[in-house]
Amino acid sequence: MTSSPTEATATLVDVTMPQMGVSVAEGTIVSWAKQIGDRVQADETICEISTDKIDTEVPAPVTGTVAEILVDVDTTVDVGVVLARIATEGATGASPPPPPDAPVSGAASVSAAPAGGLAPPGAPAPAPPPPGRDAPVSGGSSRNGTDGPRYSPVVQRIAAEHGVDLSAVAGTGRGGRVRKQDVLAFVEAAPEPPMHIESPYRPDPPPAAGAGQLSRMRRQIGAHMKRSLETAAHCTTWIEADMTRVQAARARLGVTALAFVGSAVVAALREHPQLNATLEGERYTQHRDVNLGIAVSLGDDGLIVPVIHGAHELSVEGLAARIRDLAGRARARELTPDEVRGGTFTITNPGQYGSIMATPIISQPQVAILDLEAIVKRPVVVTDADGNDSIAIRAMTILGLSWDHRALDGALSAQFLASIKRGLENV
Amino acid sequence: MATMTYLQAISSALRDELRADERVFVMGEDVGVFGGAFKVTDGFFEEFGPERVMDTPLAESAIVGTAIGAAVVGMRPVCEMQFSDFISCGFDQLVNVAAKMHYRQGLAVPITVRLPSGGGFSGGPFHSQNPEAWFMHSPGIKVVAPSTAQDAKGLLHAAIHDPNPVCFMEHKHLYRRIKGEVPEGIYETPMTARIARPGSDLVVIAYGAMVHTALEATEDIDGAQIEVLDLRSLVPLDVDAILDSVARCSKVVIVDEANANCAAGAQVAALIAERGFEDLDGPVIRVATPDVPIPFSPPLEQAVLPSVERVREACRDLLAY
Repeated sequence: MTSSPTEATATLVDVTMPQMGVSVAEGTIVSWAKQIGDRVQADETICEISTDKIDTEVPAPVTGTVAEILVDVDTTVDVGVVLARIATEGATGASPPPPPDAPVSGAASVSAAPAGGLAPPGAPAPAPPPPGRDAPVSGGSSRNGTDGPRYSPVVQRIAAEHGVDLSAVAGTGRGGRVRKQDVLAFVEAAPEPPMHIESPYRPDPPPAAGAGQLSRMRRQIGAHMKRSLETAAHCTTWIEADMTRVQAARARLGVTALAFVGSAVVAALREHPQLNATLEGERYTQHRDVNLGIAVSLGDDGLIVPVIHGAHELSVEGLAARIRDLAGRARARELTPDEVRGGTFTITNPGQYGSIMATPIISQPQVAILDLEAIVKRPVVVTDADGNDSIAIRAMTILGLSWDHRALDGALSAQFLASIKRGLENV
Repeated sequence: MATMTYLQAISSALRDELRADERVFVMGEDVGVFGGAFKVTDGFFEEFGPERVMDTPLAESAIVGTAIGAAVVGMRPVCEMQFSDFISCGFDQLVNVAAKMHYRQGLAVPITVRLPSGGGFSGGPFHSQNPEAWFMHSPGIKVVAPSTAQDAKGLLHAAIHDPNPVCFMEHKHLYRRIKGEVPEGIYETPMTARIARPGSDLVVIAYGAMVHTALEATEDIDGAQIEVLDLRSLVPLDVDAILDSVARCSKVVIVDEANANCAAGAQVAALIAERGFEDLDGPVIRVATPDVPIPFSPPLEQAVLPSVERVREACRDLLAY
């Protein structure tokens, strides 16, 4: 990069790694949409970044010219680190064209310039000296100042036709130049192709389970999960809940059981705000708003946790609509960074395949996560208002709460689960 | 087959045509009683008479103009320029009248203009030129330039039979130096190129006297297989033969006896650059007469004309590239 002659007037604006979510501490550059010297409009994408949650684009904060790019692709840096600098209007970019009347240092052919100044840019180059007897054939390697060997058209064509790596061909021409006969001799000396074409049959390769590089999303999920297990004192508590009323109500409203669980969780969190919290290091913060994360499976790719901000202000139907919207856009890879940030509590719901219990891993830096598994009909003992017991068929589920023993204890988690259960059974 | 000089082959073609076709007649300065400055038409006046072997004034414009008129009414005139250099006086008749007649009025002008050309005998600036490129630049004129006795006769027959104006470049230096077997009777040599010697490492493209220079220069250069392509016809140019040679040899030296600037060889080089690029293994090299008039002084003339040594050196240099 050449230095700007106008640094005194240059106003450079930093482009930093944005804060993508409460838990996001760093981001990785996926690609640069602009290069040094490119013009960029405010809010135009300057680069793509990836965090452990989501891929997103970084908009330019101002209109100007990209003056510096400080972080390479595939490099991970902390939130707030300067990624690039933009020279704003009035400031000159990093590589301004020299003014037309500026002295051109190192320019050749000064002696051929007309008196009174250098030739204008469009003027024809001074005529080369007339070719002498031996002039026409000159060595090909250093013409135009190009480094490395240069190959004639026919040599390149033959090499391409036979898949020859020309750097492996010994040249016998002037200055070691590779000539037509050299590449032909190389092709000739190559092992003869077999007389018979090999059978195209190939046995099936052994199953390559686990082979190959993990996707970026898988690596990020893995790192996040490991970090959570190493950070939190995980403990899991289960409670059984009767979902019979929920099943009836959801059929009536046309919503999912998850929406009812979400609603019950919100109510329980209002009752026990100690669980609507984050713990970062030794800093424990209870949050006023309930920002409810809902884990959404992306199939083989992994999963993502969009966040319903202000879930405490939504009805069951409102929650259901938000879940539907976020899940749909998550699968379409259309979530914005804001929609995966700021969660205060998370619900995961893999129950559609019939599994009944799990020990979920807390999404850091939250302090608990609720797992909703399958709702199954079971014979259970029910007691009527007069205290008479009977066996009835009820739609039951087991709710699992993983909680961080650093932030709370088992009694509180049990009370919290009981609160949810109460909410669900009294819909 | 009879062994003839290049000059005898030209005479033979003319005589055969005069005997075979009543429409054919020859005209020019001193072609009659004197038998031609180079004796090409020696004995013609006696055999065919003044009506068919016409001495003309020293007026090339009149010679070409008369021939055009005769051709338009059905004759097959053959004009002799005493030296090709003198055609400049008949230039307007040739390039504006003869060459454009068919385009303007749909009339064929089957004239043949014999142009004794070339240097090498201290003829000086007015008697040594190779003006073929002047005519190549005028659409409507064919230009042929034989290098052998057999082709001289065959191409002259072809020129006389051709319905277009044809400039027949006959090289003075070959007149009595070159001999060869020549078939009996009338035959046409096609206006295409001829491989004078096949090869594979490099091709020298030439025509006229330079074919012999090229053959001599490349007889033995460290055992390299050097092809010599004799163009024979400049308009039409045998594009396929040229590109075929380039494809096989990949290195090209083009020799012109004419001044280098815009010569026939320049056209060939342009063709190769445009359509033979992918076959090239080195720069296309031209050997030609520098852009100066041909000097009288024998040593100076030898210094400017492409010599065997210059052609050999160019080939050696390009082979090593």
